[in-house]
Amino acid sequence: MRLYGSVLLAALLALTGVLFGLWWAPFVVGLAVPVVARRARLALPIGAAIGLFSWLVPLAAGEVRYGLGPTTQSLAAVMGFGRTGAVPVVLTLVVGTLLGLAGAWLASAAWAVVVGDARVDALRNE
Amino acid sequence: MTIDTAVAEPTTAHVTPAPRGRRRGRLAFVNLAAAVVVTAGVLYAAFMPAGPLPALGPAFNPVTGAWTMAADAQDTDRTVKLAGLEQPVTVLLERDGTAHITAQSDHDLFLSTGYVHARFRLFQMDLLRRQGAGRLSEIVGKDALDTDRFELQLGLLRTAQAEWKALPTDDPSRAALLAYAQGVNDRISEAEATHQLDAMFTLLGYEPRPWTPVDSLLVKGDMTQTLSFNDVPIEMALLSKSLGADLAADWFPVMPPNAQSPYDPGPYAAHAPAPIAATAEVGHAEAQTASALYQKIASLPASLFETNGASNNWAVSGSKSASGGALLAGDPHLHLTLPSIWFQLTTDSPNYHTAGVSIPGTPVVLLGHNQHIAWSLTNGENQQIFYYQEKEDAAHPDQYFWKGTWNKYQTVGYDIPVLGGATQHITVKLSVHGPVISDRGLTTTVWWAGNIPSQDLGVMLRVGQSAGWQDFRNALRGWYSPTQNFVYADDQGNIGLISAGYYPQVAKGQPWLPMSGTGEYDVAGTIPYDDIPQVYNPKDGIIWSANQRQVTADYPYYIGTALHFANGYRANEIHRVLSAPGKLSATDMQALQTDTRDYLASEIVPVLLQTLSQSQLSATEGAAADVLRDWTSYRMDADSSAATIWSWFWSSYVDEVFGPWWRSRAVGVDINEVFETLGQDLEAWTLGDRTNRTFSAPGVGARTAVEAQQAAFRDAITLLTRSLGPDPRKWSWGRVHQRELVNLAAGSLSYGPRPDRGDANTPLAAPDFPSSDGPSWRMVVDWGTHNFQGVYPGGQSENPASTWYDNHVDTWWDGLLNPMLNAGAAAGTSGVKTWSMQP
Repeated sequence: MRLYGSVLLAALLALTGVLFGLWWAPFVVGLAVPVVARRARLALPIGAAIGLFSWLVPLAAGEVRYGLGPTTQSLAAVMGFGRTGAVPVVLTLVVGTLLGLAGAWLASAAWAVVVGDARVDALRNE
Repeated sequence: MTIDTAVAEPTTAHVTPAPRGRRRGRLAFVNLAAAVVVTAGVLYAAFMPAGPLPALGPAFNPVTGAWTMAADAQDTDRTVKLAGLEQPVTVLLERDGTAHITAQSDHDLFLSTGYVHARFRLFQMDLLRRQGAGRLSEIVGKDALDTDRFELQLGLLRTAQAEWKALPTDDPSRAALLAYAQGVNDRISEAEATHQLDAMFTLLGYEPRPWTPVDSLLVKGDMTQTLSFNDVPIEMALLSKSLGADLAADWFPVMPPNAQSPYDPGPYAAHAPAPIAATAEVGHAEAQTASALYQKIASLPASLFETNGASNNWAVSGSKSASGGALLAGDPHLHLTLPSIWFQLTTDSPNYHTAGVSIPGTPVVLLGHNQHIAWSLTNGENQQIFYYQEKEDAAHPDQYFWKGTWNKYQTVGYDIPVLGGATQHITVKLSVHGPVISDRGLTTTVWWAGNIPSQDLGVMLRVGQSAGWQDFRNALRGWYSPTQNFVYADDQGNIGLISAGYYPQVAKGQPWLPMSGTGEYDVAGTIPYDDIPQVYNPKDGIIWSANQRQVTADYPYYIGTALHFANGYRANEIHRVLSAPGKLSATDMQALQTDTRDYLASEIVPVLLQTLSQSQLSATEGAAADVLRDWTSYRMDADSSAATIWSWFWSSYVDEVFGPWWRSRAVGVDINEVFETLGQDLEAWTLGDRTNRTFSAPGVGARTAVEAQQAAFRDAITLLTRSLGPDPRKWSWGRVHQRELVNLAAGSLSYGPRPDRGDANTPLAAPDFPSSDGPSWRMVVDWGTHNFQGVYPGGQSENPASTWYDNHVDTWWDGLLNPMLNAGAAAGTSGVKTWSMQP
């Protein structure tokens, strides 16, 4: 429960940052993920989910408030994908996801190096 | 072992510690290195633009990125607080986006106009000012560098700065420009604070800098350039060199070779006609210089230069109108873009009550009406540009010889920031004639009326305040460039037309060729205002202009050659319709604006059919001739097969007659660029000189117009059979002729191409394949019923997600018009949104 609570708090923190224009907030929050989930197997999906969540919610809110159909088609056209509106949606969610994932992975990997070195030192001293 | 188990597995005392620990350590470092690399990649893509891709984070995040396009597309009632307003202003937005601004002071009117323009068109405005200032490379990279260099050489920025500097402090247009700039900047600040900047700013990764009055003057300069900057003398030099002075003068004469309908038939002021000398031989050095400059200009975007116009306007006096009031119609033809160059609005303040269309970036209604008069424009097309080849000498570096002395070139330096590259520096040299435009071969400078500081915005403000012809005509006295045919109709039944602008006159020489810059051939003045083409209340009650030469051969001044003016077919057709017996109505005006009758076809097709009746024809050729024989309307309609046959024949005919000359003389000018003038020659010879020497082209031997027509018809039918199949009845015009409205930023956001009617000769002009030039605004005014109507192809918003992006296109395409309501009438319509603007 404590893990779930922490993850939810982190996700809300990232979302709040994004809503205030700090679009890179998922990366920063992702850096803190290993504090609550040290196993990389857990930390990485959590980081990715936080990134996805914090970019998906405002996008979904935009769809509810304004309807994003014409916008997705226009963005796809500007990007050179004709009128394939799925492209900007997927791209947007991928970027958000990658930001959270990258933060979590980087912190997790750094944590492993620090902890691993400490353990080797400890074993050598035995 | 996986990466995470290397981190997570507990160590035990039974395992040999050192090797296992080292392996774990290595894996952890490998993992970290991979994480660092991937993270760096993700962050780089998120924060930094790469090639055509923007920085993905700021561009695509759903709160402040390009997705704000969705919120920006919402049109709601609003209360807006604007810095600089003196009193509250009301902006009504009709269901279709037409804006009605009502202010209690002139200052507030212009400020609000700036705000409204920027609210809907800020990116377009930024592009326009960047184009004029040579700053496109800063946002799109080195692809725009040649354009930027050319613009800085030409000098729109210098002219705009000089115009602003010359504006007296108490001039109303100065106050208007300042207030307008403040309104634009109020919107920029608001958009930045609320993350509502146009998505294109986000995608290109930059923010607009504050708007200044000079920016508005740059936008005006862009239009001047598009409408009056051309390289006709350069082309003429190349034509003269390759064809010889004799043929060049014969094919590209000063006076049009065909019968036209000038609107001002005279009599003219009793001046002695200016002597027109025969075209001189062009030397090798001059021709090489011209060739280099021609290629340089050809490599730049065509939209920077004047093309053959296709605009129309006309007026009918109260005595000839069904309503008893004067009628006015105008449809200026420009490059058709999305967003459109126009923004429709009405403006009301203590001193201004105008309705019509404005150019975003400028504070005035350019085409429209007020309570008493209506006006519209077509391009005047007279020669406003002269090229000079400066005399230089190695003994006098950086100097030119002028009026007996060596003079130093002035120099101006500019830095051009380039996206993704190093800032480029250029130095522009200026002689007394103007900027050095080319220094390959002989140094060439350009004298262009558009470089003379003029207060055109002030002129338009006074036009908007005019209550009658004298006010209107007096206001236009200050209009210099580009020369425009201003048509006029008022609420008293009067009509008029004046081709306002500079008509530069050189002391001597041949201004249709590059001239020596030594002083004898300098511009000595302009035609006096009272002598420029103009008419007021003509006896027959009609006036028309369609870029044709405005005056007859009796006009005593040089104003340009046949290469400068349109071929006259639209003017002839408009004159034909207007001069028919009977009264005319607003509906007739609307029908004439969408008239697809090809006047040239009506002259030539009967001659061709006569020729074909005496010729041996194949089955397909015979069937095609039958289709033409049934074509008595001469209308270039989308479902007409005859239209296709006619168009292909005419192109083939021009090529059949002139192509051998072009090839044998290695003419360095693209034949398509002089197609209209060659067509006028061919028309005149086909109708009245069928044995002209030109038909006997090099390599084809002696022949007449008849043999040339037969060969051209065979070629046309062969080409059409190959591309459209063997049945001429299925060669509908719409299969080969489309129209499109081109989006300024992305081709996928363009409208069309769709099959459409018209060609280069029809009042509803649609040149090229596909055609992206045409009527950029149509307006019909009936002062008898006080009925004002207009439409432009596009919509008020540049945001492609907005319902106002292209909502007028279908109405325009179908040839219909929308009512132009005043603010009071608009308030009573359904779906109106109200912006309450507070100080």
